[in-house]
Amino acid sequence: MAPRGRLYTPLTLAVLALVIGPIGIAVFVLGFVHGDSPCVLCWAQRTGMVLIALTGLFVIRFGPRPRYIGLAVLLAAFGIYMGLRHSSLHLWRDVGQGFSAEIFGAHTYTWSMFIYWVSVVMMGALLLMLKDGEAGGEARRLRPLERATLWLFLLAAAGNAVQAFASTGPPPYMGQGDPVRFSFNPAHWVWSLEEWQPAPISLRGRWAIEKPDVGRASAEPAANPLANVPVLPALRRATMALPLDGPITDLAYNEATDRFLVTTEKGIYITDGAFSRVLRHTVIDTMFSVDLARLAAGTFLGPDTVLAVSENKSYVVLRESDRADAAANYRYFLASFDKFDEVARSRFTTVRAKMMYVMAVAFDPETASIFTMTVPNAKARRLVVSRFDRRDMTLSEEFTPELAPGSGLAFKAKDGSLDAFYVSGAAFRGGRIHAISAAHGTLLTIDPATRTVTSARAIPGLDRPVGLAIKGDEAFIVDAAGRLTVVKWGQVQ
Amino acid sequence: MPSPLWHDPAVEFLNFVLIFAAGYLVLRRPERERLAFRLLVASSVLMAVLFLIGARGSILPGLNY
Repeated sequence: MAPRGRLYTPLTLAVLALVIGPIGIAVFVLGFVHGDSPCVLCWAQRTGMVLIALTGLFVIRFGPRPRYIGLAVLLAAFGIYMGLRHSSLHLWRDVGQGFSAEIFGAHTYTWSMFIYWVSVVMMGALLLMLKDGEAGGEARRLRPLERATLWLFLLAAAGNAVQAFASTGPPPYMGQGDPVRFSFNPAHWVWSLEEWQPAPISLRGRWAIEKPDVGRASAEPAANPLANVPVLPALRRATMALPLDGPITDLAYNEATDRFLVTTEKGIYITDGAFSRVLRHTVIDTMFSVDLARLAAGTFLGPDTVLAVSENKSYVVLRESDRADAAANYRYFLASFDKFDEVARSRFTTVRAKMMYVMAVAFDPETASIFTMTVPNAKARRLVVSRFDRRDMTLSEEFTPELAPGSGLAFKAKDGSLDAFYVSGAAFRGGRIHAISAAHGTLLTIDPATRTVTSARAIPGLDRPVGLAIKGDEAFIVDAAGRLTVVKWGQVQ
Repeated sequence: MPSPLWHDPAVEFLNFVLIFAAGYLVLRRPERERLAFRLLVASSVLMAVLFLIGARGSILPGLNY
């Protein structure tokens, strides 16, 4: 028994709405009247809607056969994916920014997600109307409304074919990423093969960025992009013998309490001023609430307050406490629950430094500024210094430092750049950021006021350091294995 | 300019021609249902391929993975 009007009437109206609305308006109003041209992704999204409408017409003509329903579900599912994928290109833009025309304040490519979703809902609702045994059937005689819908569909398909011919051309030309506006004048037609150009296939695209690793940094001093870098010899070398939970990721010093902060990928350790013992420690549950990934940097924000920053610019602020509530802290820590209170756990937001990881942090108490520095990756090679206000942990400024005029610093090559450095540790002292680079074992001094590198010193014998702390007139540089190199900081300025 | 891809049918214009043909068969030649449905399936695959060509630089939606 074939379903009658209860299925075909609403289905015909749905197809009619699809044909007149997103398909017809897109080509006849936006395209032919306003000159809007779909990009290569928009074309596929529009085509998918046309195909869903056509599948509906198959049902109207031949009955609700299982293969029609299966194809319609596949088309709508792929359509939702297309809408998500295309809209995501513009997700991080500001309000109103986007691509191409708007309909009711929303750009066309964002509408497709909603339309495909409505299609799925409609399919579900129509399937609910089917009774057992009604699937399948013979070709039906079309009613006037159904016949008119099919004619309108053919008109819309023909209109789209015309626009597609003008905008994308005959085979092998295909849609473009940035199409020119539509015109009936062939002089303005641009047919392109750009999408056929070989290009890498990637799952995550620009978000596929390798994790930071000092092992990737060139330790070769001769490859230093700076010419004639003065050498700063080690005063002494030593190895830490502390009970840590893993490789060291950073070092910091607090003058008021004469204590060091040592971080590991999950651990926070406060040691005495001679690295002879751990005074207090905890291990962070980096998976709770905010993905802290691997802690890559740390600094004191005060005598009893520490900041640990992850490679992904998430952070946690801890305050030492002898009366910490161990039960309440279970959620924050994996060990030593009663030594710290968690003050904050959140994420730094950057602009210039976006899409780059960081491995260094420094704090200037006078201006309440927190500085982070980026490490280069395969997609973005820039040394970006970001400054955050301690009071609200919000970005205040960002800059890419240059060589200070009169500093005597110069690049070996014309195209030399500070981007070749791999800053893995930093400390703030005397109005300057002091940054140690795992690449080329170089200590850089950055003046945040002039946004320049004022000095550089090559330190022999460093093996991809990860942390820097300044105590008195000595700078302590540490690598992941806990090997310390001490240099005279006074000579750095 | 034209390359060996001249004979590759993967373009939007051609896809709409296929769609138009399928719709025409549904309207005027319902006895050719099998051909019409094959055209519909071919167009669907073509549409998906065209989108994936355009999206191959990042198959997944661009979110902060």
